[in-house]
Amino acid sequence: MLVIKDFHAKIGDRKVLDGLNLEVPAGEVHAIMGPNGSGKSTLAYTLAGRPGYEVTAGSVSYQGRDLLALAPEERAQAGLFLGFQYPVEIPGVNNVYLLKAALNAARKHRGEAEVDAFEFLTLVREKMKVMQMDEAFLSRGVNEGFSGGEKKRNEILQMLVLEPLLALLDETDSGLDIDALKVVAHGVNTLRSPNRAIVLVTHYQRLLDHIQPDRVHVLARGRIVRSGGPELARELEARGYDWVLNEAA
Amino acid sequence: MSAMPIVLPSNRDENWKYANLRGLARARFEPAPTPEAAQVKEIAARLPAALPGYARLVLVDGHHVAALSTAAAGVSITQEVDAGAHTGADQPGADQLLANLNRHFRQGTCRIAVPANAALALEVICVATASSHPALDITLSHGAKLQLIERHWSAQNDQATLVNLHLAAHVGDHAQLELARIGQHGAKAQALDTLELQLGASATLRLVQLIEGALASRSTALIEHAGREASLEWHVAALGEGTQQHDAFVHVTHAAPGARTLQCFRGIATERSRVAFNGHMRVEPAAVGTQTDQSLKCLLAGPEAEANVRPQLEIYTDAVKASHGATVGKLDPDMLFYLLSRGIPPATAESLLKWAFVSDVLAKLPSPELRAQVAAALERQLPGAATRALS
Repeated sequence: MLVIKDFHAKIGDRKVLDGLNLEVPAGEVHAIMGPNGSGKSTLAYTLAGRPGYEVTAGSVSYQGRDLLALAPEERAQAGLFLGFQYPVEIPGVNNVYLLKAALNAARKHRGEAEVDAFEFLTLVREKMKVMQMDEAFLSRGVNEGFSGGEKKRNEILQMLVLEPLLALLDETDSGLDIDALKVVAHGVNTLRSPNRAIVLVTHYQRLLDHIQPDRVHVLARGRIVRSGGPELARELEARGYDWVLNEAA
Repeated sequence: MSAMPIVLPSNRDENWKYANLRGLARARFEPAPTPEAAQVKEIAARLPAALPGYARLVLVDGHHVAALSTAAAGVSITQEVDAGAHTGADQPGADQLLANLNRHFRQGTCRIAVPANAALALEVICVATASSHPALDITLSHGAKLQLIERHWSAQNDQATLVNLHLAAHVGDHAQLELARIGQHGAKAQALDTLELQLGASATLRLVQLIEGALASRSTALIEHAGREASLEWHVAALGEGTQQHDAFVHVTHAAPGARTLQCFRGIATERSRVAFNGHMRVEPAAVGTQTDQSLKCLLAGPEAEANVRPQLEIYTDAVKASHGATVGKLDPDMLFYLLSRGIPPATAESLLKWAFVSDVLAKLPSPELRAQVAAALERQLPGAATRALS
């Protein structure tokens, strides 16, 4: 699904990713953990094509295609979804319009007709139930006035409606209380399937108590310095990052 | 009369700094002829659908056309035909220049009087085929309520037209005026207007205005809080494209205590257009307890576009709450990337954000039918956004 080789990226003059290698097969959930400033969010943003994040070397293959050759909207239309750590508020554009426009953009890319209004509302209502969201959210501006938890639920709602092939979730657990964390995790788990991959960027083990990862990677100093199974996350929770960084040094 | 010398304000006059009056200097000032039957028939076929609950008054080149208008029960709507005669003395000052021109060349005055405690919903459509100087004189008696939609429309999009409107309104004590102004002039139109509004005690005036179309437009509004505790809301959206130049000047005088003014301007300048808004508040010594708030924002969406927003406060008493903010910026890159990351194509994403920028103002337009008509008309400028976003 996703193969990243010798990936280098910088923001302005600051080198952030420095020879990162990562492979995420379809059907798997991978967690990327690491200390602050290690490059986790930069990896997510760069894969999504955010302007200002410059790739200086390396390659990214997504379903056999050169991901880096695609514009941000083309990446999304091809099935890549970025769940933002800080979802942006867009007053004046309501949620339901964004959802429908995004879904239709993906359908158009696949050569399908625009979604029927009734079919769309049925789909959205079903997903909102999963995320335990009130329908009133649909008519509000995108993330406008939402609490931190509501924003994260809204991100996962979008993901459930769009049904991406590759989801990159950037610190989806930050700012969530325990109940909201469970709801968000449940939403993510409903999306797991053999033809889909999910990459969770997180600081903490607690998200992984609810979303069992297949692989856990430690990102430090711009590269993956250690990989392992779910037990690695528990070890990091118990021992912190220093021992991994020392071993990698 | 057409030989009357016209001395136009220059760009050195602060209140006229961004106004483009070049078209006015070239214009011929002649009384507009009464529209012929065939012309009226053609216009009738192209008028927008009637708005439920609203009576309609149609002016063609300033002439009241009874055949296209509907009666409004319980109110007085009359047109005094002045036949081009000068009506009243010229008022001094550059800000009165266009009003004085109107007084010289108007074909009559439509007087709309709403009696005490009565209510009226009225749509006035000003159709321009050449040059016109429509005049509206509105009187709201104590406790009266008027929902007025004023729309401008050029009969031929590619015809050079001049519209110089004068609107005077006296909003009596406890009366309410809701004024929606939609300027959808043709591409070669010069659109000018002067509003003179006076608010009585506890009167309220809420204006929502869309400025678009027209090669050049200038709107001058002179408002006085004459009675205590009057309330004024002024919401304006302006969309400039091509080489259009839109300039609005709003002068509010707080002459009585306890009055409140809220001013909100949202302008978008694309391509080589220029959009300007100058909001001047003057608070007189007697106007203790005045509250004013100005939020003036412009979006620059073209490499050669220009935007100028200027809040001005002139305060002669201490007991005042006044706040103001003015910004000119580009599309928010974070918002844009968020939409792109959801697969929205760049042109649609930009259009959506532009729509979002002015939607607060346009959402305040009365009547869902009017909002739908306006959204449809904006589809060309904001493709894919307006129609769906309003639905």
